[in-house]
Amino acid sequence: MRGLAGLALCTAALLALASPAGAQQAKPRSGSGKPASPPAAPNPYPQRFAALCAACHGANGRSDIPGTPVLAGQHMFYAITQLFLFREGRRSNEAMTAVAKGMSDADMQGFANFIATLPPVPAPPPATPPDPARMKKGAELAQQHKCLICHGADFAGGQQVPRIAGQHEDYLQMSLRGFKSGQRPGYTMAMGEALSRVTLEELDTLAYYAARFPGAQAAVGK
Amino acid sequence: MPRTMRIVSLITLAVLCALGTASAQEEPGWAKGRPKANDEAMKMAPVPSFPVPLPADQLPIKKLKLPPGFKVEVWASGVLDARGLRQGEKGNIFVSTIFVANKVYVIPEAGDHKPKTIIDNTPLATGIEFHKGSLYLATNTKIVRYDNVESNLDKLGEPTLIYDKLPGGTDHSWKYLRIRDNKLYYAVGAPCNICDPGEWAKIFRMNLDGSGVETIASGVRNTVGFDFDPKTGNLWFTDNGRDWFSEELPNDELNVVTKPGKQHFGYPYCHQGNIPDPEFGWGKSCDDFQKPAAFLGPHAGSLGLKFYTGKMFPAKYQGAMFIAIHGPWNRTKKYNGVYVAWPDGKGGAKVEPFMTGFVENNTYLGRPADFLVMKDGSLLVSDDHAHAIYRITYTGK
Repeated sequence: MRGLAGLALCTAALLALASPAGAQQAKPRSGSGKPASPPAAPNPYPQRFAALCAACHGANGRSDIPGTPVLAGQHMFYAITQLFLFREGRRSNEAMTAVAKGMSDADMQGFANFIATLPPVPAPPPATPPDPARMKKGAELAQQHKCLICHGADFAGGQQVPRIAGQHEDYLQMSLRGFKSGQRPGYTMAMGEALSRVTLEELDTLAYYAARFPGAQAAVGK
Repeated sequence: MPRTMRIVSLITLAVLCALGTASAQEEPGWAKGRPKANDEAMKMAPVPSFPVPLPADQLPIKKLKLPPGFKVEVWASGVLDARGLRQGEKGNIFVSTIFVANKVYVIPEAGDHKPKTIIDNTPLATGIEFHKGSLYLATNTKIVRYDNVESNLDKLGEPTLIYDKLPGGTDHSWKYLRIRDNKLYYAVGAPCNICDPGEWAKIFRMNLDGSGVETIASGVRNTVGFDFDPKTGNLWFTDNGRDWFSEELPNDELNVVTKPGKQHFGYPYCHQGNIPDPEFGWGKSCDDFQKPAAFLGPHAGSLGLKFYTGKMFPAKYQGAMFIAIHGPWNRTKKYNGVYVAWPDGKGGAKVEPFMTGFVENNTYLGRPADFLVMKDGSLLVSDDHAHAIYRITYTGK
């Protein structure tokens, strides 16, 4: 119920606050050619994030609303691909489609740039300690299914690959199952391929593990 | 064997069988043949293009290198996913897209070259051709025709279905089209990296109403670029070689069809005319297949091909073909560019790089995809990575 109420609230807030495309030129992304001339006006996206996104995702990019992903520590390339998929109506989520629909390219770039400035926020200490057997199984599955190759030994991701360390378990579970069933389109074919041979039970174990990820040391060595 | 042990064995066997089945299921076609134990190979994935075009002033135009006397400029920027290029009779330029945009655009030849979406929400809207007032569009599942298109750019209306028996899928299923002598040429690629392609991996042609499908060439893994030599009428095509064989082999092929319907170009048995496939090549000889006219580089991603039919470029480019080398994703060292090839008159061809400079720090700044020869003889080049169209001119200076 809390989730539905939160969703409704967010949607309403978003619809009310979504403003038309800012005239502000988005920051050039890294690797592009010569830098653009310095902006004349201050970057509006911190304020727009606070007004548009923070109610659901948290001002620091982490909230407890069920099904709402942590944005803290997420990468610009990944963030913009998801805004794009929402805007184009390919990734389905009522609230996010409503948010992204009115965004210009510059808006998507501006929000994605701002999201990338939010430092990672660790998960709060769990009420009950993680089940060691399940964590061990999760670490083994992550090795076996090559999750670390793209998401990194620290699960921090990079470029178009999202950070998954400390992401909410329910969101990870929903995403993994969505990729496997094809219900959630990826920006590339990578996840569909990666999960084609992973069982649903294993997906849930991976979600459990990544949500409680103990850090790169524990994952690689012990 | 004690009863308990037998039960344990049975359970173990059942689990192993289940695991075995699970691991064999549903491997996507492009991953077939990938060395699973090699992390460097497992790390490689198709290079995603950014979902937002680069602003015009950030395109890599100043980094591009051409032969003396040639110049390149940005002809259109902000063309998300610009892939195939074709021109209408009234000067409109049609631009198809592939993995990101799901659109076809029109850009009038005159004016500010801003793209306007004329077809939307169509995945793999990649194969386009213009013929006698109509725009032909081939996705991975069907071919349709929009009539009188240049008079209806604000609303194309419902297309006429020509053919809906394409196999679909995601592997090598996107299309490239040419029309010649009232026949529509297209290909269906192999539904995998390496496998028995069954009735596919062929270039076909059909009547313009979709009837009379004929095979033009067999054993073609994936061609997304072909054109007819204006001198001989022969069909030249690029073919993307198999993946995961090794970093440096096999090469993509440049091929020429000299006996339509009678030639087999080797896939999946033989690669680049001289390497038997380690799995499918047993009992076959590369000598039984048509050899390539030239090599285009390992995992080159050779795409659009167009014979130069303009008058602006120097005489040596008359009769030459331009080839878009998109650049490899499953090779550690990246390279790409626009190449030019001259048929040698003996079934072979000489290939040279023509425009390079799209790679910086082993990262693509842009990736050429297709061509259009403009009426003034200049050459348009689409780029589906930087999302732009460039124009190459010859000034002699």
